[in-house]
Amino acid sequence: MARFDYLEPHSLDEALGMLEKHGARARLVAGSTDFLVRWRTGVWRPEIVVCMQHVPGLDGLQFNDDDGLSIGAMVTVQDIEQNDIVRTRYPALAAGATAFAGVQVRNLATAVGNVCNASPAGDTLPALLAYDAQCRIVNSNGERWAPLTEVFVGPGQTAVGAGEIMTELRLPTPPPNSGGLYIKHSPRGAMDISAVGAASVMSLASDGTCASVRIALGAVAPTPIRAFGAEGRLIGQVPTDENIAESARLAAQSSRPIADVRSGAEYRREIAQVLTERTLRHAALTALGDVPDFDDVRRLAVQTAW
Amino acid sequence: MTTQFKVLERNYPRVDAYEKVTGRATYASDVYLPGMLACKLLPSTRSHARIVRLDTSKAASHPGVRCVVTGTDFPDFRFGSGALRDRYVMPREVVNFVGEPIAAVAADDEAAAQEAIELIEVEYEDLPAVVNPLSAIGSGAATVHPELENYEGYGFTLGHNVSTLLDADRGDVDQAFRDADVVVEDVYRSQGINQGFLEPMACVADVEPNGRLVIYASTQGPYQIRAALASVLEIPVSRIRVVAMELGGGFGAKLRLAFEAFPALLAMKTGRPVKLVNTREEVFTMNGPRLPVTNYIRSGVMQDGTIVAREAYTIFDVGAYLGAGPNSGIGHGIGAYRVPNFRLRSYGVYTNKIYVGSYRASGVADMTFAVESHMDRIAHELGIDPYDLRVKNALREGDVSVSGAVVPTNGLMNTLEAIREKIDWPRDLEDGHGVGLALCEWRSGSGPSTAAISVNDDGTVSLLTGSVDISGSDTSLAAIAAEALGIPMENVVVSKRDTDQAPYTGQSGGSRIVYSQGTAVQRAAENTVEKLTALAAERLGLPEDALGCEDGRIYVMDNEPQGLTFAQLAAASITSRGGPIIGTASLSSMPYTPVFAAQAAEVKVDRATGQVKVLRYIQAQDVGTAINPMAVEGQLDGGVVQGIGRALTEDQQFDPETGAVRNPSFASYLMPLAIDLPELENVLINVPAPDGPFGARAVAEPPGFGPPAAIANAVYDAVGVRIKELPLSGERVLAALNGQNAEIDFDVDALRRAEGVAAD
Repeated sequence: MARFDYLEPHSLDEALGMLEKHGARARLVAGSTDFLVRWRTGVWRPEIVVCMQHVPGLDGLQFNDDDGLSIGAMVTVQDIEQNDIVRTRYPALAAGATAFAGVQVRNLATAVGNVCNASPAGDTLPALLAYDAQCRIVNSNGERWAPLTEVFVGPGQTAVGAGEIMTELRLPTPPPNSGGLYIKHSPRGAMDISAVGAASVMSLASDGTCASVRIALGAVAPTPIRAFGAEGRLIGQVPTDENIAESARLAAQSSRPIADVRSGAEYRREIAQVLTERTLRHAALTALGDVPDFDDVRRLAVQTAW
Repeated sequence: MTTQFKVLERNYPRVDAYEKVTGRATYASDVYLPGMLACKLLPSTRSHARIVRLDTSKAASHPGVRCVVTGTDFPDFRFGSGALRDRYVMPREVVNFVGEPIAAVAADDEAAAQEAIELIEVEYEDLPAVVNPLSAIGSGAATVHPELENYEGYGFTLGHNVSTLLDADRGDVDQAFRDADVVVEDVYRSQGINQGFLEPMACVADVEPNGRLVIYASTQGPYQIRAALASVLEIPVSRIRVVAMELGGGFGAKLRLAFEAFPALLAMKTGRPVKLVNTREEVFTMNGPRLPVTNYIRSGVMQDGTIVAREAYTIFDVGAYLGAGPNSGIGHGIGAYRVPNFRLRSYGVYTNKIYVGSYRASGVADMTFAVESHMDRIAHELGIDPYDLRVKNALREGDVSVSGAVVPTNGLMNTLEAIREKIDWPRDLEDGHGVGLALCEWRSGSGPSTAAISVNDDGTVSLLTGSVDISGSDTSLAAIAAEALGIPMENVVVSKRDTDQAPYTGQSGGSRIVYSQGTAVQRAAENTVEKLTALAAERLGLPEDALGCEDGRIYVMDNEPQGLTFAQLAAASITSRGGPIIGTASLSSMPYTPVFAAQAAEVKVDRATGQVKVLRYIQAQDVGTAINPMAVEGQLDGGVVQGIGRALTEDQQFDPETGAVRNPSFASYLMPLAIDLPELENVLINVPAPDGPFGARAVAEPPGFGPPAAIANAVYDAVGVRIKELPLSGERVLAALNGQNAEIDFDVDALRRAEGVAAD
């Protein structure tokens, strides 16, 4: 429980100035849900903590057809879980949000914080990858945009540089006739870290073939990953059980899981295949149909409820 | 519900409900004394090592630090939780597990204390360590306690690293196995388990101006702490006062001395109060959990299902110190069944891991998992229905228990019948669904119990016992007193525990409070009524046998309106020959009274992931008279929830090289949440206990025994795989579904040879 100084900037410029001044001695926090755990156990020992809570303009969660979904840096996971547009247009993200920890943690934790913490097991991350999220990163020179796939560098490591702040995620509008789902595999139904997570988002062409698909996996590699090979197997194909199974097999093949206190590596690979298959089936099934009831999505998103 | 009682067998809220729900109940960590210092501990980073250098000088001179103590500041005295004294309160030369506290700091605040802890310099010389109990027992393994044979209380020399060996034998086991039609043999393994109580260990130590030590503790056993502190600090018991604060859960983990000696010594050295509140990580890494148990079990059975022989060899990993040891495990190798010939052995084996602690009938849940899984295996080998097999072999009144006591009247058959009705056994289920049974047995807890009841001016009474309230036991004791005195519950005031004020009593644990302590309360109440009656007789000029007691008054049986209320008698007592009225009772033990429960789980198994979901859980327990049915159901629910955790998700993991706890937090040690649980269905069977207050039996322990076996049996019923190792994780079940269900390695012949039993 090391001591630290706590700073509350009231503008983005002030926050950037603080980061510039204190450099590696400072740590930026939003909801602090990851920070408090690591600080209390001594893993993180910053001398300065810069809290983004009072920086205005970062709590917007907005959607329009042209720009897609914009998620500000202070938007909580609960904001996302409760949002009707997210539930209808980005169902895999809503599923990722509902599978995330528990209500108390979701009320504090932010999606951007989940990205910046870069845990391979972060529950919003596979869905954000599957919706092709772009990240807005500001620094003293201005801003830059980076695709989320390029932001994850390693466990806990991102391409967000020293003196930079991620302020927004933007998810393009999904094509028409699309469906998606995230499924989390964990021994417990809530307040648990994923042993494996999988998100699939698929859109269908008028002839019933797969027009686009993105598959992303969590907790089976040093970072959340896209399963590009598995996606390629489905594009232009009718998503039959056989094609989906083959795609899921390829997705599992692309994983590089480790063994830890939660799970063995081989089991993780097997589960990655099962979850990919289940999310793809659900995506294909719902692409043309009605938006499923969110209580059903809740049940599907957490594996123990199957 | 119709009832013969005026108070009992009704649902009523806890006597401390208002304090608890308003957050005003005071726990040890709520104690703030003027000038109080904060205490922090330094854990060992080695599993087995000699402390070559322990330099506290930088820590001692750190700003805010008032005192630092290490093992050599304590008297050179080994203590133990049982007879075997194998442990220093803080190691003097050798550490035996990762996490063992080797220094304590008292400082003005927690941050300064923690900073000082990090300034302590330690140099270790590593010693050979052993982590796996099955290899520890072999002669080639490293020795945890090289001086073991010189320890006080060491009883025998059978086996390397063996701290204890408990045995029970009956009949000619080898002949019975030769005569059996079928022999079924299994090895089961259950995992390490943390008690998972909500309130971490906490205490405040203070020294009164006259030099007496006062300890405000979170404990199930204030008198036991007092005795242990007196030993390790070498001061008389009479110089120590222990105040038992509200208990935020214990489940056995707070039965014994924990870390109270550290703030105690720091308080004695500084003259200031010292508070120690452990972190959750410290609870996981410093205070004894249950450790893995490996169970070899073999039965000889006749074609009709009659069990004729049982052999069980059980290895209890006890970690670095005997701690709670294998204690309750031994007698449960035959379960709730008549077995005419048996050989049961329980080995307590030292390893360089955290020492073993107690948890809700330590060891019995492990034994029940093995025995009740094994029962289903026997049933399937013989092609007999598992329910029928249990009925056929179940203990009956008049049978002889493992310990030699005769089984008195009981509701075992009623519990089985209730379960059968509830689940409509046998039942055909859809694919992937299954039902499993388990039968649980325990005995009502005994041990020293006392109570004192004084009559107040207004006719109410004050009840004083030394028992710490667990799971609402104060409420049950108040109800027993009210029933016996013929007054309403609200006329009983329950006093809080303090070793200076309350009479000596045993610990709150082992299903003994309502049964044993409750009997003391009932007798104290009867004693109070006798004294009230004697006083009334004196005042009314009538013989005592002409008087009755009801509704808070002593009345004349021939003329009911004539009599004296408790309030009038209390007033009269002040100037009476006998003086103010106090009823008391003491007892040391209670007769053997078994507790039986039948349980059933209905599950579904996801064949693709192996995950098991419990859809229904039903238990029927013979509780005798239910003092407070709502509280009884709370006990049943709580136990089953703990059992479901043990069955499916809870798993205290240890590093195979260092023995260190790998998952010391609730984020990685997974207790079930409400979302993970099915509706819990309870059936209370009432076959009144021949002894015990108003026919009540113990309740607390059996609910947690059944779930691992019931769920494992249900998984077998659902998908046809037999899982013999806990927990039944998705990974383990899927491996079994894929045909990779490894048998557990166990060299039972080596154990038989060691004691000269011929292996056949």
